[in-house]
Amino acid sequence: MAKECNGTKPGYEDPWPPVRGDYQVGNANAGVAVVTLASPIFPKGAAICGQCKTENLGVEKIVANVISNCNIRILILCGVESKGHLPGNTILALHKNGIDEQGRIIGSRGAIPFIQNLPAEAIARFQCQVELVDCIGLEDIEQIEEQISRYSRICEPYPEKPFQVIKRKAASRQIAFGRGDLSFGGRVIMDTSAWLVEEETMAKANAEG
Amino acid sequence: MFRFSKEQSIVNVAGVKFGGQCGQLPSVLCGTIFYQGHKIVDDEERGIFDRAAAERLISRQAELSEETGCPSVLHLYARSIEAFERYLEFAEGVWSGPFIIDSADAATRSAAALLISEIGYADRAIYNSISLATEEKEAQALQDSEIDSSIILAYNPSQPGVDGSLAILETGGTVREKGLLAAAGEIGMRNLLIDPAVLPLGSGAGSALRFSIAAKARLGLPVGSGIHNAVSSWPWLSKKETTIKKGCDAAAGAMQLLAGADFLLYGPIESADNIFPAAAMADILIAEAVRDLDLAPGEAHPLKRLV
Repeated sequence: MAKECNGTKPGYEDPWPPVRGDYQVGNANAGVAVVTLASPIFPKGAAICGQCKTENLGVEKIVANVISNCNIRILILCGVESKGHLPGNTILALHKNGIDEQGRIIGSRGAIPFIQNLPAEAIARFQCQVELVDCIGLEDIEQIEEQISRYSRICEPYPEKPFQVIKRKAASRQIAFGRGDLSFGGRVIMDTSAWLVEEETMAKANAEG
Repeated sequence: MFRFSKEQSIVNVAGVKFGGQCGQLPSVLCGTIFYQGHKIVDDEERGIFDRAAAERLISRQAELSEETGCPSVLHLYARSIEAFERYLEFAEGVWSGPFIIDSADAATRSAAALLISEIGYADRAIYNSISLATEEKEAQALQDSEIDSSIILAYNPSQPGVDGSLAILETGGTVREKGLLAAAGEIGMRNLLIDPAVLPLGSGAGSALRFSIAAKARLGLPVGSGIHNAVSSWPWLSKKETTIKKGCDAAAGAMQLLAGADFLLYGPIESADNIFPAAAMADILIAEAVRDLDLAPGEAHPLKRLV
């Protein structure tokens, strides 16, 4: 059930979080979310806390889960970076610069920093709804929990509806028989680009006419 | 299972053959050692590890390879060049076959490619990988090296799906000026192995299967994947017992082979006991399926060894 976030909680739709992943959910009314990057640590007190090891799909999941709960106003980045992938650097870059027309996260030093499943509005919402706290490298659970506690006290819910990311449906395309490039034997062939299987004689007729 | 009208090239790296028509050659199985979080590694940055345990794992993979007829490759993952040097120094004493050099860090991969060339092992090495992430510096290091075998990662996040994966290989799609196949050729890569880049389940993992067939039909190159990643990144399965996870791992590998794959990057080398029988069974089933299509497997094939 959708709830407007006008200062009365909860400010998210059940079930929350909408996207599955390797995380622990705390109090969904809390104002802080924590990403521990490659460190398998789970400090307490946050609305959601989990690792992020990739600079593309992992980052997308974080954005989707954060913006679907308008109680979350602070995202703490801590733990050690995932070498090469650099998801922490990528989240900072996404928040600061957004994406280009190809979906590439501007300014990220990660290996393949692309957003492929989020609309531009979701990125804009992420940039507006949350502030990032850069504690990358910090693994001390007590210190991270101190940060959670400190920021939780000052969080007010974002004054909009929760933003639900709806998975983009793959564009369907008109498919037709072409020339078979794969054979099953028994005169049954397949056009692998169209992923269609047919009898060879019929395929020839279709190709010609 | 299938017979492609396009000629299927066979890549030979240090005596191990990848590719061909389905059922022609046994599947090549590549187990990873010293991966991130591997329990036998004490210090990933420096490459300090339990040598006896590592030797046992490598020997076990070799034994299973000998028993089943599925050739094996040692997939060496390193966090740093210091670690890679130690791993390589160790591997040369216990392993005589081909190996994959891999790291999440481009600088480590580049340095490893140059080191391999310097000590004369380039003909045994497969670089993992050339991808959308390969920048000029890494490409230059590869060109300067003597390595001529590489995995080409067909990951195209700007155009997910089979068409986008083919585009990144052939034309570069919308994100590169040039296709990865041409780019790899220009820096001296002659033996190309195509990896569809398996995404998590729910994010498009299944398209790797269709892409495998489409890539072989269109390019005629050997194809294989790390489909175990789809299994290990499945949150629902992570709460299940180990035997259930192993069942899914073996099933995923067999499905990838049925979808035309020539090799599996099967993940942690500890999975060898689970993967080799599943792959050998898939190889036998596929070889039997194409028996009346004039495709006869060689003497080393599991069909000739295990049944």
